Amino acid sequence: MAASCVSCGAVVSQRLLLRPRVSLAPRQVLWRAAELQSVPGPQILRLKHVTVVTTKKNVKALRRETYTVDFIKKQIEEFNIGKRHLANMMGEDPETFTQEDIDRAIAYLFPSGLFEKRARPVMKHPEQIFPKQKATQWGEDGRPFHYLFYTGKQSYYSLMHDTYGKILDIEKHKNQLQAKGLFSEKDKTTDLIGSRWLIKEELEEMLVEKLSDQDYAQFVRLMERLLQGGAAGEFVQSFRRSVTVQSEKQPIEPVQHDAQGMAFSTSEGRRKSAKAEAVVYEHGNGRIKINGIDYLLYFPVLQDREQLMFPFHFLDRLGKHDVTCTVSGGGRSAQAGAIRLAMARALCSFVTEEEVEWMRQAGLLTSDPRVRERKKPGQEGARRKFTWKKR
Amino acid sequence: MAAPLVKAVLGSSDLTLSVRSAVLRFPGFTQVRWSRYSPEFRDPQIDKDYHRKPWAELTEEEKFERELRKTQPIKAARSANTSSVFEDPVISKFTNMMMKGGNKVLARSLMTQATIERNPYTIFHQALKNCEPVIGLAPILKGGRFYQVPVPLSDRRRRFLAMKWMITECREKKHRRTLMPEKLSQELLQAFHNQGPVVKRKHDMHKMAEANRALAHYRWW
Repeated sequence: MAASCVSCGAVVSQRLLLRPRVSLAPRQVLWRAAELQSVPGPQILRLKHVTVVTTKKNVKALRRETYTVDFIKKQIEEFNIGKRHLANMMGEDPETFTQEDIDRAIAYLFPSGLFEKRARPVMKHPEQIFPKQKATQWGEDGRPFHYLFYTGKQSYYSLMHDTYGKILDIEKHKNQLQAKGLFSEKDKTTDLIGSRWLIKEELEEMLVEKLSDQDYAQFVRLMERLLQGGAAGEFVQSFRRSVTVQSEKQPIEPVQHDAQGMAFSTSEGRRKSAKAEAVVYEHGNGRIKINGIDYLLYFPVLQDREQLMFPFHFLDRLGKHDVTCTVSGGGRSAQAGAIRLAMARALCSFVTEEEVEWMRQAGLLTSDPRVRERKKPGQEGARRKFTWKKR
Repeated sequence: MAAPLVKAVLGSSDLTLSVRSAVLRFPGFTQVRWSRYSPEFRDPQIDKDYHRKPWAELTEEEKFERELRKTQPIKAARSANTSSVFEDPVISKFTNMMMKGGNKVLARSLMTQATIERNPYTIFHQALKNCEPVIGLAPILKGGRFYQVPVPLSDRRRRFLAMKWMITECREKKHRRTLMPEKLSQELLQAFHNQGPVVKRKHDMHKMAEANRALAHYRWW
């Protein structure tokens, strides 16, 4: 085999064998003069040759490493044994040693100062480490096992074929029912909302095949068609993943009471580099004080005051709360946005859940992630390019 | 091209779920290049009445949409949009387009200063006032010839002339298919802005008077 060895003491016959194989990746071979051994007596001249790696890429490394089934099995056995040893080392029960325990144990035994989490030592099940690969798809005689092997994406096409078959079956069944007059319009299942289709990456992982965007789009269209046919069975469910039904993982601040017994609630908000903290009192006249200054004086621009007004106007509570807030950093508009977010969050404690959901859908409870885009080298600004000159 | 920033800097972890590296692509949604939001974020619905509609009044589609919205993360509301009644999306867009160098304050002040007069009475009065000539011409017989002599006009005469010109203009100089009210409104609007044929006639009168300035001493009253 054309080994990428840098120096090896090779016997002449091997060197002759080497020659035809090396046509792909020519290497300059330097022959070092055979060294005379210091020991007296019959000397065997051993040819030492040193290969110099040239600029051509190492062809061997380009091919993907294939892991045989036995290799993976061995790795799994080793992993399990290692897990039991680790459990013993940590003084815990080997039977109930979960992956989180393994992670904790490894982090304890091999503390790493590396910042990149993926570079730290890890001990996971071999399924998660070695990428999934397909077993050999043809037999001894070279004939492939699967009838769609020559399409290149056999699992994908066989899946599409099966799905289409199911669609045809459903239509036939529907036609039969209609002919008998027993067909009834069934209402669509509403579980469509709580789940979503597999994304392209997940589908690729499932089929162990590379897909293109058009393939994926076609797949989704076919699945939608199957759903419309009415059969939301197990087959379709296997291609759906559940989605967090309520996106309101909104922590609602508890209502506190100050010395005079007035109910208030505090929360924070941030926008660009402005940080704000707002204290919203439950009963008030609609006065807003920012850093001890009245809002009319602090925000001379109308747009900022409109932003302050927005959460209250949205909930029809314009003159009913008093607000005191502190803000720092950022510019005029960023501070207004930060205060708006803080006020909206604080208002959540005085308001029904439905109204909290309304606020979320109006975008009042989302913190704005937009920040200034950096300037790139070779351009004048973040997006603006230098003036193009013909010569 | 530099890889997009994966982690949100501000520490709000429930947002731009660092799925930017493995981009979520849904068939119906086109991804805007370089957006700070992940593609599954929906646009916010600011309209107050949309949310306050009672459940019973909604159609099936709307109910479905509402249910769907509950599962979707929503982008933050823009700093230029509010739920106020004075808010107009088209005007906001126009203001942004007029903005130069990010000076929204200036653009907004220009827009607020740009007013459109809508009161028809104001328009009518101002139009007629713009049509009134300041000085008139009178034909005076001297030495066998009639000279056009510039002469001051009384208020009544001026108003009469403005109206007369306006009506003449509307009657005679129009397409046979346009009706009088339409033509009249057009002429009034033009006169309000000091444009149009009636005001031109007034200016012509003024120019003639200016040209015949030398004859002013022919007047004896």
